[in-house]
Amino acid sequence: METMVTHRVKLTPECLEVDGQRVAKAVAGESFLTKLYRMYNMEYPKFFKMDVLCKVGFVASEVLLASEGVERFVPRADRAVILFNRNSSLNADRTFQKTIADPADFYPSPSVFVYTLPNIVTGEIAIRNKYHGESSFILLPEKSQEAMEQAIERAFLDSETTSVLTGWVEAMSETEYEAELDLKLET
Amino acid sequence: MIVKKIGESMITPLGFTVEENFAAVMAGRSELRRYESLWNLPFPCFVSLIPDEKLEAESARELSAEVLVSLQTKFEKIAMLSAVKAVKQSGIDPASERVVFILSSTKGNVGLLEDENSDLERVTPAHTARKVANFFGNPNMPITVSNACISGLCAQIEAYRCLKSGQYDTAVVVGADVLSPFIVAGFQSLKALSDEQCRPFSANRRGLNLGEAAAAVVYTLADESADGWRMLAGAVRNDANHISGPSRTGEGSYRALMSVLAESGLSADDLACLNVHGTSTMYNDEMESIAITRAGLAAVPVNAMKGYFGHTLGAAGVLETLLSMRAVEAGEVPATRGFDELGVSMPVLVSSEAVDTQKKAFVKLLSGFGGCNAAAAFVKV
Amino acid sequence: MELKDELKSKMIEALNLEEMTPADIDDNAPLFGDAGLGLDSIDVLELIVLLERNYGIKISDPKQGKEIFASVSTMADFVAANRTK
Repeated sequence: METMVTHRVKLTPECLEVDGQRVAKAVAGESFLTKLYRMYNMEYPKFFKMDVLCKVGFVASEVLLASEGVERFVPRADRAVILFNRNSSLNADRTFQKTIADPADFYPSPSVFVYTLPNIVTGEIAIRNKYHGESSFILLPEKSQEAMEQAIERAFLDSETTSVLTGWVEAMSETEYEAELDLKLET
Repeated sequence: MIVKKIGESMITPLGFTVEENFAAVMAGRSELRRYESLWNLPFPCFVSLIPDEKLEAESARELSAEVLVSLQTKFEKIAMLSAVKAVKQSGIDPASERVVFILSSTKGNVGLLEDENSDLERVTPAHTARKVANFFGNPNMPITVSNACISGLCAQIEAYRCLKSGQYDTAVVVGADVLSPFIVAGFQSLKALSDEQCRPFSANRRGLNLGEAAAAVVYTLADESADGWRMLAGAVRNDANHISGPSRTGEGSYRALMSVLAESGLSADDLACLNVHGTSTMYNDEMESIAITRAGLAAVPVNAMKGYFGHTLGAAGVLETLLSMRAVEAGEVPATRGFDELGVSMPVLVSSEAVDTQKKAFVKLLSGFGGCNAAAAFVKV
Repeated sequence: MELKDELKSKMIEALNLEEMTPADIDDNAPLFGDAGLGLDSIDVLELIVLLERNYGIKISDPKQGKEIFASVSTMADFVAANRTK
C-alpha cells in the first residue's frame, strides 16, 4: 500500500515551520506555545490545563490540521493518531513526584497525575478533533525514522484507517521540546 | 499465514509460572492484601505485591550473575525474567533479525524519581526494552507501547501487525509494571482506589486495587493448518470524550469490539467468554456493560480478573489474555473474584462461579486513560 | 481578602484558568457545565486537594463535591463552616 505525506509541521522553542516554511519565530521572554495558541485562535481553554508534552503535541497538531484545509471537528474513525518519543511523560512525572516528595506537604495532584502517561497527548488530539479511530503512543530508545515508518505501515493494516496524524513529540521542559508531525494519507 | 502463540510466561504474586497462576485463579486465590501505610503512605491501600525474596531467588536461578548486575530495579528484573522464560519455552532464536521485541508498560522505572540522583535515562520503559533486546543479542529496535491500561493488548496487536505486514516472523511481547508510591498516590488522588477487595461489576464496588505483574507471550507466523492458540484480530479505538473519564456510551470499546468481530469473523455464538477490563470503578464497569450490550454480546459470559491480581497496568493485557487461553482450553470461564450482586445498568453475564464452556474462542477487552480502548480476538484450533 | 475572592484566586491558580481574573467569576455562577466555568471531574478532585491543603478540610467522597462546588458562594459557605486552619 502506498502512502504520502500531505503536510508537515515542525515545532521547536525557537520556531514553527509548516511544510518547510518558517511561519513563526519565538521572541525571548514569551511563552512561544501560548503565543501560537493565540495566533491561531485555537480557543480551547483546556490547553492551559495541559502539561507541556500535551501542549506541544496539541499546538503542532492544530497547525497541521489547519493546513489541511478540510472541515474540522466532524466525528470520524478513519484517522489514527500515532505519536512517538523516547522519554514518555518524564516532565509530568517529575512534576507529580514533587507533589508527593515531602511527607509534611503530601498532596498528590490529580490534575498533574492524569498527564503522567504519554498517550494523554494522543487522547487530547482525538478528543479535540472527535477522532474515534486508533490512538497510540509508542516509545523508542532513540528517534528513528525507519522505526516510525514501519509503525505507520502497520497502522494502515487496520481496515478503517485511511490517514494517520503521526510523528515525534518530546518535551523535557517548557523550554526544551520538539514536535515533528506529519499527516499521512493512503493513496 | 496465521499468528500463533508459541511461548508464554508469567510472574505474579500468585506464582512464577503460568500453571501456578492458572491453578490459583481456578482455586479462587489472591495475594491482594490490605496495607495500613505501605511505604509510609498516609492512607491504607489494598494491593498485590510480588515478594522481593522470591523474585531474588528466581532471578538468581534463571539469570546469569552478569545480567543480574545490570538489572537494578524490580521492574527491570520482572521484565527480563518473563522474557527469558517465554523465549526459552518458545525455542526461537531471539538473536534473529526476523524477531522483534515489544514491551508494554505504563510507568516502567518511575519509582527511580524518588531519588533525585537517579539516572533519568533509565526512567523510560524504552530503556528497559533495549536492555532486554540487547540481552538476547537482538539487532532490531525494540518497540514499547505505552497506552495506559490498554498497553498489554496494544502490544499484542502491534505484534500481530508486525507479523501480518511481513516486517518480522516472530514477536516477543513483554508486559510489566511494578507499584511505587508514585503510582499508588496517583490513583489515590483520583479517588479511584478501594481500600478493600475490589468487586468488579458489583453494586457495592468502591474502586480498584493495584497489583504487580509481568507476563510475556511469543507469537510467530505459521501455516493455516497449524494447531494451537491464534490471534485473529485486534483494534484500538478512542472515545474522543475525556482524558480520564470513560465514555457514557461506551463509544471506543463498542467500536473496538465491532471492528474485532468483523475482522475475525466471530459472532456472539462462537465466544466462550468476554474477558473484560472490570477495574471495579463505578464508571469503567458501567461503561463496559453498555459497550458489550451495544455490540450485541450481552449473551456471552463476561469475566474479569482484577479480583485475583488487582489492576496490573501494562501487564494486564498480556496476563489476562494468557489466563483466558488456559481457562478456555480447560473448558472453563473463571469466576469473577469479588463479584456479588450485579450493579451496572445493562444485564451482562458476570458470575462469581466458574462456568463450563465448550467454545474455543474469546475476546479480550480493555480501556484506559486518554480515552483509549482495545479489543482482540483469539481462538484455539 | 474576603474568603470568596481568596477562593477565586486559588482556583484560578490551581485549575490553570488562564485568561481569567477573580472579577470574571460571578459568586453565584455555576462552576460546572457549559453555562458556567465548565469545570470537569479532574477539577473537582483538584478543588478537594485545594480545600484540604489550604483549609484542612477532608472530603473523601467526590460525590459530596457536587453541592459544595456548585458555585463560589456555596464553596465559601462550606469552607467557613468546616475549616480547621
